[in-house]
Amino acid sequence: MKHCLPQYISTFCFFVIVSGVLPGAGVRAQGNGPGVRGARAAALGNASVALAGEVWSMGNNVAGISEIQRPSVGFYAENRYFSSALNVGALTVALPLGRTTAPDAGGVMQGTEGAAPSLSPAPAPTWARNGVVAFEAQRFGGVLYNETRVGVGYAYRFGQISLGARADMLQISIEGLGSRRMVLGTLGGQIEIVPRRLSFGASLYNLNQAKLASYQDERVPTILKAGLAYRPGSQVLLLVETEKDVERAANFKVGLEYRPVPVLAARLGLASLTEQASAGIGVLAGAFQIDYAAAFQQALGFSQHLSVSKSWGK
Amino acid sequence: MRRAPDLDRLTQELFAEIQSDEVPYEDLYETLLQYYQTPINLNAATREELRSLLLLNENQITTLLNHRQANGDLLSVYELQSIEGYDLRTINRILPFVSVQMSGANSSRGTLWQRIAREDNNALYLRYERVLQERQGYTPPTLYQGRPTTRYLGSADKMLIRYRVSHTKDFSVGFSLEKDAGEPIVWNPNNGQFGADYVSAHLLIQERGKLKALALGDYQLQFGQGLLLSSGLAVGKGAETITTLRRSSVGVRAYSSLLENSFFRGGALTYQVAPTVQVTGFVSHKNVDANLQQTQDSLAQYDEFTSGLLYTGFHRTASEIANRHRLAETLGGGNATYTSRDGNLAIGVTGLFTYYGTPILKRPEPYNYFEFSGRENLALSLNYSYVYRNFLLFGETARSSGGGLGTVNGLLASLGSSVDAALLVRHYDSDFHTLYGNAFSENTRNINETGVYIGLKVRPVARWEISAYYDQFRFPWLRYRASAPTDGHDALLRIAYTPTKTSLLYVQLRQRLKPRDLASTDLNNLYPTRALPLPGEQLRQSILVYYNTAPTPQLELRTRMQASRLRDDDGLAWRSGYVLAQDVGYQFNRTLKLTARYAIFDADDYDSRQYVFEQDVLLAVSVPALYGQGTRVYGLAEIRINRSLTLWLRYAETRYRHQDVVGTGLESIQGSLRGEVKAQVRMKF
Repeated sequence: MKHCLPQYISTFCFFVIVSGVLPGAGVRAQGNGPGVRGARAAALGNASVALAGEVWSMGNNVAGISEIQRPSVGFYAENRYFSSALNVGALTVALPLGRTTAPDAGGVMQGTEGAAPSLSPAPAPTWARNGVVAFEAQRFGGVLYNETRVGVGYAYRFGQISLGARADMLQISIEGLGSRRMVLGTLGGQIEIVPRRLSFGASLYNLNQAKLASYQDERVPTILKAGLAYRPGSQVLLLVETEKDVERAANFKVGLEYRPVPVLAARLGLASLTEQASAGIGVLAGAFQIDYAAAFQQALGFSQHLSVSKSWGK
Repeated sequence: MRRAPDLDRLTQELFAEIQSDEVPYEDLYETLLQYYQTPINLNAATREELRSLLLLNENQITTLLNHRQANGDLLSVYELQSIEGYDLRTINRILPFVSVQMSGANSSRGTLWQRIAREDNNALYLRYERVLQERQGYTPPTLYQGRPTTRYLGSADKMLIRYRVSHTKDFSVGFSLEKDAGEPIVWNPNNGQFGADYVSAHLLIQERGKLKALALGDYQLQFGQGLLLSSGLAVGKGAETITTLRRSSVGVRAYSSLLENSFFRGGALTYQVAPTVQVTGFVSHKNVDANLQQTQDSLAQYDEFTSGLLYTGFHRTASEIANRHRLAETLGGGNATYTSRDGNLAIGVTGLFTYYGTPILKRPEPYNYFEFSGRENLALSLNYSYVYRNFLLFGETARSSGGGLGTVNGLLASLGSSVDAALLVRHYDSDFHTLYGNAFSENTRNINETGVYIGLKVRPVARWEISAYYDQFRFPWLRYRASAPTDGHDALLRIAYTPTKTSLLYVQLRQRLKPRDLASTDLNNLYPTRALPLPGEQLRQSILVYYNTAPTPQLELRTRMQASRLRDDDGLAWRSGYVLAQDVGYQFNRTLKLTARYAIFDADDYDSRQYVFEQDVLLAVSVPALYGQGTRVYGLAEIRINRSLTLWLRYAETRYRHQDVVGTGLESIQGSLRGEVKAQVRMKF
């Protein structure tokens, strides 16, 4: 019997990749990893590597900020399991560089006045001519242990492809032991495989494998994420993603976002490694995008996530 | 003339793979197939009846009802193609189970007797089955320590006679007689035995003005989400990840199946007290199988008690016969349901009182600590169902004697023309006792469980369908073979491709983590220092690949590969099972159809056994468990002698390698072959 197994073990690997189910390992804390940005990502099980065009892409996949068209700012707060030692706060600002070629209602592109209006009902999406730059400050933890991070990122889009890079200064402080600082590099990329239907994203966090301590060769985790975003209809977004930390078991995540009306979104998500289910809502209130998410882990209980973001100008 | 339903394909589409021996699947499927025998009239069907087909989503039901309202009755089933949301695949799936008839009153077709006499949908079935090899239970008894050993008291033949005539929303009359293999034929009216071991008869009259249903004899009830009353019309977790989640509140139903313990015997009546309110009352009294015991302790609560009901329905040995129909069970109750005029909102209350002639006292094991004990149980429930645009909300909450609560709530949503999603949350207290309930759960009974189910179905491009679910559950108290509170999950992914009308290809993957106590040897090897025997994290992964095609109208080919592996705990060895089966079906002419299968199986042990659906005579389902190494072969002939007479003949055999005994105990056969024959005749009048 054993000899005929390989063929379907490989099938299982495929299964595992597409479905995001694995026997759960332990629950992971922030642990110097990239963490979660934005309650939208949190509600989607953090299957956020293929999301783009919002200020939170700065932390989820830096390539995604290339689609931001207006100056934006966002604030994010997270509390896990009602413990103040696990709080997260983050502030992010994204600035497009150069003019975005904004399409007008007639579908006439700038610089082509007088030409026949194009017949496509939906204007082609546009993005900043010289890319987008973003800044982020983030803090995790309480008095005894905390991590503070300051980052700068840049992303550029050409055709269907976006590329982004980001550098972080990460400071880890432990009460009574002092603190340590290091610099991390992160890369991200996104590709629209089928325009407006299917896109792929990948992100590599800490590609330089920054060293935390010589003792036991402790390093900041290096994490590679890859995932797909699929829009079967105008109101639905499905996400699948796998995430691998060099020293941990693989994590598989799925998310579902449903937007019955443009100002309201409902979300669900699952993550296999933490065996955590999450749900949330998002509301567009004037210029403010407000998102809330709650996640439930059977052994540890509830986490809550809240984010607010705002964009300026045309 | 309706097309003959391809029930085999239906089971493929609706049911997940079987993973348990505790449930009599064959009878469950039969119950479902019986239901599909009476086609639903699309012109008269309510929203709830259309849901009970399990093949339509809420949007499709809504558009059909709107179409009916706007354009009047459908003239033909082919009119469905003009209704929004009905693609060819959907129409082909439901075609065998629906009809289009004038929705006029039943009385316009003559008196009840005339209608019964003229009804086309009637049939008498005679079925015979036998295992050809001699099994231990049928050999002459030997002496063991001076006493004769246990043997079956009856012959090895299994026989069934069944007659039913029915018309949807009008009437159903029928009876069934069954003798299982090994059961003696006894004529003892004093003991309620009239020859065959199992006798059932029913009369159901529907839609006579305000009298909506009147059932006499054997009947079933299903209200709300089946938390208190469920009649086997429940599929549960399967490859169909959306529509099967919700139970249909179908009310009083005729009973003509062979499950010997899951029906009611007496009367039930549904009456329309107001245009939007229907009230049902019912009483039932029957004797069920149970093992009665005398108390040894003079201070005990009861002199005589039973440690639980026996559900197998077998009465073959002296001890099985001694337990036959020993426990008197009386129950009564009612339901009131309000349905809004547009059918979008339904609210119902249900009450069920059960009284046992002998108190029930489960064995004093820790896992039985919160189980039902005593003579009586009163359960009350409230159920609701509400449609808002593309959302369907449903649920039921119940309380049983002693304060145990159970609740199940769900949401089905059509998120677009090509995406359906489902969410279901359930919680059943450890001391919640529903004796006839079968709401959605991971356990076989609705007790001691909390869980969340998320399902999804996507049709990304034409002809492709992806369905998936993820179900997470927790058992707050101990279970049989799980001596600690445990939690687990169950996930399924299925990708189906229908290249043409006649072919179907799908791949299904499933993983289930459900902790179970370890064998003591494993426990000592893995955790020599562990003070408590914590259950092992049993993980089972399985794959199913199925391909079904009809190259010509006469020829049908099916290939099925299924394999699974399981591991009792992290670090323990994987055990695996595998089956590859090839089926061929050929329709020679109008008279004769032959179907055959050749399958090869290889499974390491009983835990990794494989259940494979087999085609069987009409209305029967065969799902043998295969383990060990060997081949499974069957042939089935369907012969239409004339319009009223059809004959089925079936031979099936399992040949094992390297085994000189097949089966265990009284079922064991010397040798390596087990073959069985089956014959069935259907007469239509």
